[in-house]
Amino acid sequence: MNRRRFPWLSYLLVVTGAVLTVVPFLDMVMTSFKGPGEAGTLPYRFLPKAFDLSNYRAAIHQLDLPVLFRNSVIATGVITASVLLTSSLAGYALAKLRFPGRDFVFRLVLSTMMFPPFLFFIPHFLILVHWPLAGGNDLFGRGGAGLTVSIVALAMPFLVNGFGIFLMRQFMVSIPDEILEAARIDGAGEFSLWWRIVVPQTKPVVVTLGLLTFVDAWNEYIWALLVSTADPDVMTLPVGVQLLQDYVDPTRTMPIVMAGLVLSILPVLILFLLLQKYYIRGVMLSGLK
Amino acid sequence: MVNALVPETAERAARRPPSAGRAVDGVGRTRRRQVVVAYLFLAPTLLFFAVFLILPLGFALLLSMSRWAGFDLGDIHPVGLDNFTGLFADGSTFLAPILTNTLLFALGTVALALTGSVLVATCIDKLRFQGLWRTLYFLPIVTTVVAVGNVWKYMYEPGGLVNGVLNALGIGSVAFLQDPDTALPAVVVVQAWASVGSAILILTAGLKSVPESYYEAAALDGAGPVTVFFRITLPLLRPSLLFVCITQFLTGLQSFALIIVMTKGGPGDATDVAALEMYRQAFSYGDWGTASAAAFVLFVVVLVVTLLQLWIFRRKGEDT
Repeated sequence: MNRRRFPWLSYLLVVTGAVLTVVPFLDMVMTSFKGPGEAGTLPYRFLPKAFDLSNYRAAIHQLDLPVLFRNSVIATGVITASVLLTSSLAGYALAKLRFPGRDFVFRLVLSTMMFPPFLFFIPHFLILVHWPLAGGNDLFGRGGAGLTVSIVALAMPFLVNGFGIFLMRQFMVSIPDEILEAARIDGAGEFSLWWRIVVPQTKPVVVTLGLLTFVDAWNEYIWALLVSTADPDVMTLPVGVQLLQDYVDPTRTMPIVMAGLVLSILPVLILFLLLQKYYIRGVMLSGLK
Repeated sequence: MVNALVPETAERAARRPPSAGRAVDGVGRTRRRQVVVAYLFLAPTLLFFAVFLILPLGFALLLSMSRWAGFDLGDIHPVGLDNFTGLFADGSTFLAPILTNTLLFALGTVALALTGSVLVATCIDKLRFQGLWRTLYFLPIVTTVVAVGNVWKYMYEPGGLVNGVLNALGIGSVAFLQDPDTALPAVVVVQAWASVGSAILILTAGLKSVPESYYEAAALDGAGPVTVFFRITLPLLRPSLLFVCITQFLTGLQSFALIIVMTKGGPGDATDVAALEMYRQAFSYGDWGTASAAAFVLFVVVLVVTLLQLWIFRRKGEDT
C-alpha cells in the first residue's frame, strides 16, 4: 500500500523519462518532413511547416536504397538462419548426446563469450583479405582482395554465435531424456530426433534467439563499414546512410539524412513492436546488451 | 533428407527382434553412432571457431609483436614487445588522454544510466501500463547506432533541439560536440540514454523478487517512501545493481561505434577511446602492429573487469 502513496510523483518521473527517450525519435521523424532551409536553423522549431515527402524520395534516390536494403536483408537473413541452425545442432549435441570431448567443447563455447568483438576486427579483416582462391587470390591467399568487398564478407564473422549455442543447450537440457530414448528404441536416427522432437519443442527460444540475432545483424555498423566502403554494391543500410551524412551540408540536407534514418530503422522497429516479448526475454537471458 | 531418414531407420528398427542380447549390442551401437552424429552436428561450429576464433587470436597476438606494412604476408617482421612499449612511451597519447577517456566514458555512462534506471525502474513498479513504459524505454536499444548517433549529433547542433530548449530557457547555444570540454560528456549522455532500457529491465526483474511483506511491514511501522527506498529497496536490489553496473561498464570500455558516428574522436582527441584508437591505427594508418597491441591492452582491461565480475558473483553465490 505504502508503495502507492505518491503515484503522481512516480508518474511524473516515468513520463518525463519516457518523453526524453522518445523525443529524439520524434525529432528524427519531424525533421524528415522539413523543407529546405527549415532544419538546423535558428530559432529551433520542432514541427515542420508542411509535411514534405520529397525528402524520402531524395533519400531513396541518393542512397540507391533498393541495393542497400537488398544487402541488409541478405546479410541479416543469412546470419540469422545460420546462427539458428548451428546453435540448434550444436546445442542438441551438447545437451543430449554423449561423446568424448563434450566438456571441452562446451567450455570452448562458453569461453567465446568472454572475448570482446573489437579483438577480432583486425584479424578477421586480414583473414578475409587473404582468403585462398577468392577475389583474385592464389592458393596461399596472395594477390587479390580476397573476400573483402563482397556480400559474403558481411555475414561471415557472425555465422556462429557462442551465446546462441549456450542458450539452445540450456533450453534443450530440460527436454526429458525418456522421450528421446523412446524414439531411439523405435529406431529413429539422431537427425530425425533433432528435427522432429527437439526443434518443435524449442520454438520459443528459436524466436527469441532469431529476433536478437536479426536486430544485431541489421544494426551492425563497424564490420559492415570495413568490408563495404570501397564498393557501394555491398553496402548495408547503416553504412549507406552514414556515408550520406558524411558528405552533406547539415543545414540543407539534414531532412534527407533523417528520412534515410527513419527508413533504415523501420523494419527492426516494426519487428520489435510485434515480437517484443521474445526480444525482451532474450535481453534478460543474455543480460549483456 | 530429413524425411528420407525416418522411414529407413524405422524400418530397420522393425526388423530388429526384441532380444536382451541384441539390446545390449544396440546400446553400444547407439553410443558409437552418437559420437559420430555429435561431431557431425558440431562440425560447422568447430570449423567456424577454428577459422574465426582460434586462428584470429593467434594472428592478432603475432601481429601485436610484429611490424607489418601493407598486406603481403612475407613482410611481417617480428619486433618483440616494441609495439607495447611504444604505446606507453613518453609522448604517446595512449595512456592519456585515450585510456583516460575510455575510463571516463565507461564510468560516466554507468553513473548516468544507473541513476536513471534505478529511479525509473522503482517508479514503473508502482504504475499501470508497465509494458508500455518499458517498450518506450527500450526503443533506443533496437535502433542502429548510426541512427542514434546522427539524431543526437543533429540535436546538439546550434540550431538543434537541445540548444532550442536551452534558448527557450534564456541560455545561449552551446556547440556541444565542437568544444573539447563538452564533447565527451555529450557523447556519454547519448550512450547512457541508449542503455537505460536494458538496465531498467534487469532492475525490474530484481524488484519483482522483493517480497511484498517487507513493504507492508515498513508501512505498518510508518516508514516514508524515502526511508523505504533507502532501507529496503536499494539494499535488496544490490545484486541486480551490481550486475547492471559491471555489464554496462564492460560495454562502455569497448564502445566506439557511437563515437565514430558522432565525433570521430574529436575535437582534437577529446573523445578518442582505446577501441577507436585501435580501429584508426589499423584502418586509417595501416599500422597493424600498434593496432593489435592496443587491442590486447584493452582486452586485458576488459578481462580483469570480467574476472572481477565472475569472482564477485561466485562469492555472492556462496554467501547465500
